[in-house]
Amino acid sequence: MDARVRLPLGLGEVAVWQALGLLAIVALFALYPVIDRNIGHVSAVADAGYFLLLVFGLNIVVGFAGLLDLGYAAFFAIGAYTYAMVASTQFNLHLNFWPMLIGSACVAALFGVILGFPTLRLRGDYLAIVTLGFGEIVPQVFLNLDKYTGGPNGISNVDQPVFFGHAFGFNPVPYYYLYLVVALISLVLLNNLRRSRLGRAWMAIREDELAATHMGVNPVTTKLLAFAMGASFAGLAGCIYAAKLTLISPDEFNFSVSVTILSAIVLGGMGSLLGAFIGGLLLALLNFMVLPQVTNWTHALGTALHNEAIQNADLHYIIYGLILVLVMLFRPEGLISNASRRAELHHGQPATSAAAAGVE
Amino acid sequence: MAIFLQQLINGIAQGGMYALIALGYTMVYGIVELINFAHGDVFTLGSFLCIAILALLGVSASGQIIAGWQGALIALLVVVLAALLCGVIGVLIERFAYRRLRNAPRLAPLITAIGVSFLLQGVMRNWKGPSEISFPQFLPNPTFAFGGVHIDLRELLVVIVSILMMVALQFFIYNTKLGKAMRASAQDRDAASLMGINVNTTIAWTFFIGSALAGVAGFISGMYFGTTMFTNGYQAGLKAFTAAVLGGIGNIAGAMLGGFLIGIVEAMTAQYISDQWTNVVVFSILVLILVLRPSGLLGEQLPEKV
Amino acid sequence: MHRRYIIALTLALIAAGCSQQSSQTSSSTSTSASSAATSAAATSGTTSNAAGGTVIKIGVDLPVSGADASIGVPTQYGAQLAVKQANEKHLVPGFTFEADVLDDAVNGVHDPAQGAKNIQSFGADPAVLGVVGPFNSNVARAEIPLSNSLQLALISPSNTNPTLTKGPDAVAMRKDHPDQIAYFRVCTTDDIQGPAGAAYEYTKLHVKNAYVVDDNETYGKGVADQWEGAFKKLGGTSLGHDHITKGQQDFHALLTRIANTHPDIVFFGGNSSTGGGLIRKQMPDAGLGSVIYAGADGISDNQFLQDAGSTADNVYVTVASVNAAKLPAAAQFLKDYQAEYNQPVGPYSANAYTAAMVMIRAIGEAVKANGGKAPTREQVLAQLRMTKDFPSVIGTFSFDANGDTTNRIISIYEAVKGKWVFVTQQNFAGSP
Repeated sequence: MDARVRLPLGLGEVAVWQALGLLAIVALFALYPVIDRNIGHVSAVADAGYFLLLVFGLNIVVGFAGLLDLGYAAFFAIGAYTYAMVASTQFNLHLNFWPMLIGSACVAALFGVILGFPTLRLRGDYLAIVTLGFGEIVPQVFLNLDKYTGGPNGISNVDQPVFFGHAFGFNPVPYYYLYLVVALISLVLLNNLRRSRLGRAWMAIREDELAATHMGVNPVTTKLLAFAMGASFAGLAGCIYAAKLTLISPDEFNFSVSVTILSAIVLGGMGSLLGAFIGGLLLALLNFMVLPQVTNWTHALGTALHNEAIQNADLHYIIYGLILVLVMLFRPEGLISNASRRAELHHGQPATSAAAAGVE
Repeated sequence: MAIFLQQLINGIAQGGMYALIALGYTMVYGIVELINFAHGDVFTLGSFLCIAILALLGVSASGQIIAGWQGALIALLVVVLAALLCGVIGVLIERFAYRRLRNAPRLAPLITAIGVSFLLQGVMRNWKGPSEISFPQFLPNPTFAFGGVHIDLRELLVVIVSILMMVALQFFIYNTKLGKAMRASAQDRDAASLMGINVNTTIAWTFFIGSALAGVAGFISGMYFGTTMFTNGYQAGLKAFTAAVLGGIGNIAGAMLGGFLIGIVEAMTAQYISDQWTNVVVFSILVLILVLRPSGLLGEQLPEKV
Repeated sequence: MHRRYIIALTLALIAAGCSQQSSQTSSSTSTSASSAATSAAATSGTTSNAAGGTVIKIGVDLPVSGADASIGVPTQYGAQLAVKQANEKHLVPGFTFEADVLDDAVNGVHDPAQGAKNIQSFGADPAVLGVVGPFNSNVARAEIPLSNSLQLALISPSNTNPTLTKGPDAVAMRKDHPDQIAYFRVCTTDDIQGPAGAAYEYTKLHVKNAYVVDDNETYGKGVADQWEGAFKKLGGTSLGHDHITKGQQDFHALLTRIANTHPDIVFFGGNSSTGGGLIRKQMPDAGLGSVIYAGADGISDNQFLQDAGSTADNVYVTVASVNAAKLPAAAQFLKDYQAEYNQPVGPYSANAYTAAMVMIRAIGEAVKANGGKAPTREQVLAQLRMTKDFPSVIGTFSFDANGDTTNRIISIYEAVKGKWVFVTQQNFAGSP
């Protein structure tokens, strides 16, 4: 099993079985809407797509560059509102979806720079709080400026994409493939980016900003690029999200969205692309499939036992809280991790235990 | 002018609560440089504990008034018990959620703190349900009016208690052995340890005192508003943190000043701009202060951190 | 090993999650395989079951977890009770009904995206011929276009926002594709409710100067605007209109500002869960204790009484429904509900019961018209549009051209010393 193949698109050299596995996974995703003809499921899986894009984007900021952003949902909101405002009856503008996909990403990236620029010299946790404040301000502003944003009603009747004369409509299948294509391109792009000069600069900044600066890394452009690129993914996700749902309203972009995405990254392993992917999938699964089931179970159990406390129990908060605490305490590098990140996070502990914990 | 003064009173009353919560943020940050994200939820838990203790004492939210020394005694008993319980919970949180990560990169304990915050909310959600719950306002509430401005006992209570707490804390930090150990640990943990200070114990005490103050704030807030809810700690905590940052984090007088200022800014925004913009204004202040003057208003005058 | 194990685990979990869902709706794969496109899912693929004939499902989409559960769950029970009774009474011979409940709350808050997803899931299951829900107006905004395109009947027990059926989107839709509208509701709308409240308070309570506050949500702002407009038209003065913030607890500053304008009445558009009771409770602190407080159905619940405590007095609310206790049909429903769930009804239980019942009736008619065979969704919709003088536990009603109920009865309640007291009810059947 040591035959190795070189993958295209800069994906590196892997063992044959890994290449085949990768191919099988991609094929599985590509064929999923054909295998499962239930459009409800396809719609749910497609919605995991925006979630994955958000995870990829935040992973650049938090995972690669080590800048803790607690208000990431704000960029998601900015992307969604950008598209909704120019492609609906709100201003009777009906710009085309495809250029706006890039347009929304650019607008979000611009806001990423606007937020990033003044916060360049802030330390990690101060930065976290500034971004948290930003995340509180943005949806509130969208809510309050009701002349432009529809206020609490948001913007409805957002235009759906048309692909060479083929209207997407409410059919989730084309959205599924759109997400899949965008996610695959993002994965390849991010994988190359991570090992590029910029990617290494991000990691250098993350590990030791002072040392990195002395080694010739420009912290200003490096950090700003992290913010901009991270935000652009949220813009992209927001644009597709608005088009698929045909409606956006300000209360969809609150702190819990930011925390959910952060949880996915923490769970999967900060800085690891595979980790972000797996963490994102797991959390999407948890959010969209498992937690609703848990509520049903506790509800049924309570009804059977005639116990109102169990019947009305709500374990969402506790499950989320436990994931964050337990992962941080016992596996701070997440489910998937790389050696350098492990070493960083187990700093201060005996090297042997760190090594032992990460044996593959 | 009367309206301005009245809004000033409103702002100071609300600000007093922020100040009490901010004291906990500032002490913990001063010594372990951790934004204890769960602190706001300890505050809400304080309110919940007060309701439970009051229920044990037979005081419910039926609107009964207990006047005179009996009322005062119950209030004192409840506030002391709630403060002690919150203090213990704070120590437990530090011991099990934060201590292990003391030397990890900054992000790790901050994310843990967010997790603890969710856990506490989950516990409170399942304890008392998802809606607003009533807090027995059992003390009489006489109103004092002068020149078109009125202030009632509850508002006075908030202000007096928060100022008393700050003075006591200041005295404690500068005049007791434990307080000196805290200051020493804040300046240099390793050096303090070499000088024979038990850093773990000192940090535990810091969490105890900060969380106990949050418990006091929980009582005061319950008395003032008459209701509480399991999610209240998030916004209250965020604003209290803003107050701590505004005043200069790690600085006790600064936390106090910041708390009152944030309360006043909120009241004035509601009066002269519009209620819907208060959060935007407050969080803009947070962002601007952090960006322009991270040391806060009083940060440089007292470089010594607690 | 570690990494491989985790990846395998993830994939296994995903597979498990999918298969778990598909087992619930196992009938779908065989029948809708030919058409992944949305509009074609309404083939009459229903499963048989041994006991009571063919199963027809009624989807129920409500927020039943988190903060919304306290109002969502009793609403769900209302719909489930209707399904149970329909089966017991064999309302549609040869068919058994099943309530398929999906939660539209994510992280404990009703979520438009989740609602849309639920409608997609119902749409994918050919056994589902109609949906009762949603509860919240903003969720409805996301679901209506989707249910229209799926031709899947959607009957809301509680959406009162008028724009859902009379807004520009709905009007355009009605003009171009009147046969595609699949949204109905059994409660009347805020453009009836708001003015009805304003008229009562202006003429009967003799208030002239109002201050309006709302919670800046779709429902709250909508009803507050309707109330304010009607109040001004009657000759009243609006001294100001403020929006509060989500999660706000301290209203002293806002109330001080309001007190300074000396109103006779403060109107709140919103829910108990968004501050309705808290504002009332803090009004005396600002010297507004004796001022009348008014609102709409969002604060007509027990949560308001609990939050407001001793200040739950001199408070007037409208409810966009009849007083159930006044109808004999409702008395039986109230008894059955209590017996089934061992708790009193929620504010929207009777509405959900009615929504499910009107759906079941339409399905029954469609079965008849279809010669005893399971009908298509379009046939159910056609029957629903023809609903005329349907006798229900909330009164006899028809659906008008907009899909709104003709049952435009507004009840007025007053909170007196911590209890809701029925004052009067008015029929606005003639209003536009």
